Amino acid sequence: MTVDHAIEVTGLVKRFGAVAAVDGLNLSVRAGEVHGFLGPNGAGKSTTIRVLLGLYRATAGRVRVLGLDPATRGAEVTRRVSYVPGEVNLWPNLTGQEVLDAMAGLRGRRDVPAERRLVADFALDPRKTVRTYSKGNRQKVMLVAAFAAPTDLLVLDEPTSGLDPLMEGLFQRCVRDAAAAGRTVLLSSHILAEVETLCESVTIIKHGTLVESGRLADMRHLAAAEITARLPAGQVPAVAGRLRSVGVADGVAEDGAVRLSVPRRHVAAVLAVLAGADAQDITCSPATLEDLFLRHYEAVSR
Amino acid sequence: MTLVRLMVHRHRVLLASWSVLLVALAGATVSAYRSTYPTAEQRRLAVELAQHNAATVLLYGNLPDPGTPAQMFAWEIGAFATILAAVMAVLVAVALTRSAEDDGTLELVRSCGVAPRVPLWSALAILAVVAAVLAAGCTGAAGLHAGRVDGVTWSGAAAFGSVVGVTFLLVAVLTAGLAQVVSTAGGARTTGLAAVGAAFVVRSIADTRHLDWLNWFSPLGLRAGVRPFTGDRWWVLAAYGGLTVVLAWLATVLHRRREYRAGLVRPRDRRDTRLNIRSSLGLAARLARRPVAAWTVAVAAVGTLFSAMGSGVVDLSRRDDVGGFLGAQLGGSDPVAGYLAYSATIVGILASTYAVGSVLRSRHDEAAGLTDHVLATGVRRWQPLAAQVAVTALGSGAVLVATGALNALVAPSVIDGTDVAGRSFGYITGQWPATMVMAGWTALLVGWWPRLTSLAWLPLVASATLALLGPLLGVPADVRALGIFQHVPDVAGPDPDVRALAVLLACAAAAALSGVVGTVRRDVMTG
Repeated sequence: MTVDHAIEVTGLVKRFGAVAAVDGLNLSVRAGEVHGFLGPNGAGKSTTIRVLLGLYRATAGRVRVLGLDPATRGAEVTRRVSYVPGEVNLWPNLTGQEVLDAMAGLRGRRDVPAERRLVADFALDPRKTVRTYSKGNRQKVMLVAAFAAPTDLLVLDEPTSGLDPLMEGLFQRCVRDAAAAGRTVLLSSHILAEVETLCESVTIIKHGTLVESGRLADMRHLAAAEITARLPAGQVPAVAGRLRSVGVADGVAEDGAVRLSVPRRHVAAVLAVLAGADAQDITCSPATLEDLFLRHYEAVSR
Repeated sequence: MTLVRLMVHRHRVLLASWSVLLVALAGATVSAYRSTYPTAEQRRLAVELAQHNAATVLLYGNLPDPGTPAQMFAWEIGAFATILAAVMAVLVAVALTRSAEDDGTLELVRSCGVAPRVPLWSALAILAVVAAVLAAGCTGAAGLHAGRVDGVTWSGAAAFGSVVGVTFLLVAVLTAGLAQVVSTAGGARTTGLAAVGAAFVVRSIADTRHLDWLNWFSPLGLRAGVRPFTGDRWWVLAAYGGLTVVLAWLATVLHRRREYRAGLVRPRDRRDTRLNIRSSLGLAARLARRPVAAWTVAVAAVGTLFSAMGSGVVDLSRRDDVGGFLGAQLGGSDPVAGYLAYSATIVGILASTYAVGSVLRSRHDEAAGLTDHVLATGVRRWQPLAAQVAVTALGSGAVLVATGALNALVAPSVIDGTDVAGRSFGYITGQWPATMVMAGWTALLVGWWPRLTSLAWLPLVASATLALLGPLLGVPADVRALGIFQHVPDVAGPDPDVRALAVLLACAAAAALSGVVGTVRRDVMTG
């Protein structure tokens, strides 16, 4: 049986006592895609992930991972899932190699050459005991185990918070390789640049509910673009007036520097105004993920 | 001062529960010694027996003449109180000195402008205050009975309380020193507890072989030196007080000579070993290897100590007038059987301590997120706890079989009697169902009420109290039978009755099974 959605969650509710950590969440991840899972701290990302792995039992809602319900068939699901948590604790008296052996032994499936290659790539010394590892090194052990395991779905919960920039680059390559090999990746991260470069689709949640979900390209389309330019000295008041009539206020400084956030439907008109006024250094960039995210993030902090 | 307050606040539950336990033990038992032997004749007999019984001399030391209730209290309860104070000292000292370093909180403290030596000094100051609290508490608890229980005086109570306090401080400061040598909190705890075990062995050899000078080398021998309610020799306390100051100074010197998060002895932290497992049972077994080895050595040593010191039982077996609490403790009819059963009870209590701790490991792994890793590889939800229970069953079996076998070798050469080897082995391995009840109960808590796992120790403490102090406290035999340690039949007796053991095993299996079912029905709880 082939499943076109690796993860399919509808109306997920997870309560702890009176508190609903997740409250009616929908999440769908298509098979073979790299899906970003974003939200401010405490939004319910890790809770959702733990439900996906069958570690938590959903209070309500329908959850399907690789076509199966993790609440009743958790072991069958996780056998085909690699999981890397953000806070990695390991058995302190085992060596890195022994941890890798343990994970592969428990899973019963192993790709030894891939594991050896990844250990070398991540520059991990697997003969040292876990006690002597730094946070980044413990994370590397889990990343090696996750990428090397022959699984269909990778669930990565802030997996790179302890990695250096060099390893960060390697991590991105590994995710791309995984996607190229047909594996699905759910990536929860606060590093927006990482999500932006890796993910085709993202889901943003807040207070345990869905805020926005879809293909990153489509979401950018809907958001405002940022336009910058420099106006000749004498043109400032005239251009400001014309922009107001198009529907874009503020953003023109007295010295002629222009920085505007423009809804997509007005971009052409604004560019025409700027071009007509002989503006220099005109740039127009689509909304970044950071813009999209911060819009919701700020709403939370209010 | 802020640091002292922070440390006390952080460990307040540990400090308070142990202190309350010790003071309650001292306060609740004094009056029992008045009522157990109403006539002078009965007491004289009991005292004489106690003075000549190898088991009690080994466990509690020598009971001084004339054996007033106060002296019996200092002899028997004093032994428990000092052993518990020593164990508490190790746990508290490690918690105050090394744990904060392992979990990184000391880094935060040090980065706030606190000088490197201040945390250790603060810890030593807290230990001194705790020792003073213990001394005052035990003095008060025992002294309140002055005038009502024969032989109890305020001066004797003060000597008794001070013995508990100084024993605590001595072991605590010693552990603080050892904690500078090893590189982890766990290692410090193991070393400290090993030192307490060694102190017990030295004390018991000193007492059974009447080598009084040897008691000077054991913190647990301090009680015999001070002789509360008998001699109240304060200068001994003063001498040991001076020794703790020297040990504290030594600890600070060692502390200066080591790196942060390291010990003076570097552990080997690089090795080329592989782990060939295919199930969570295999993983649990691999992780249990070292603890089981350590427990086997420790329990076998204590068990063999009992056998080796058991020669006095022979004389006892020639006498018909075994009565009073010793008669009850040694199990009535056959003193050899009684002695072997009694030492096997001690072994059973120790093995159960291992069993409870071992099953609790599964809760610890869950809280630390390790169970997440295991479950995320396709292991079924019930397996981690089931594997831990199975490994505990095997581990406690190994501990008991090794101890039983060693005793079967040693006991016949020391104790005269019929089939001593077989009975010794039988009594000791017969404790296995009891240890499994403790493991099952712990699994039940882990499965259904993971937040209440500290209650796992409760039935162990209750059963041990019933077994060791029940006769003394005048607990009726029906109630004592509720304890789990005294149901092992004499294998050499006619027609040994194993029904009680079967009941224990059935209870253990039901509890463990229910606990495993419980884990399947709840969320994994981290943190």
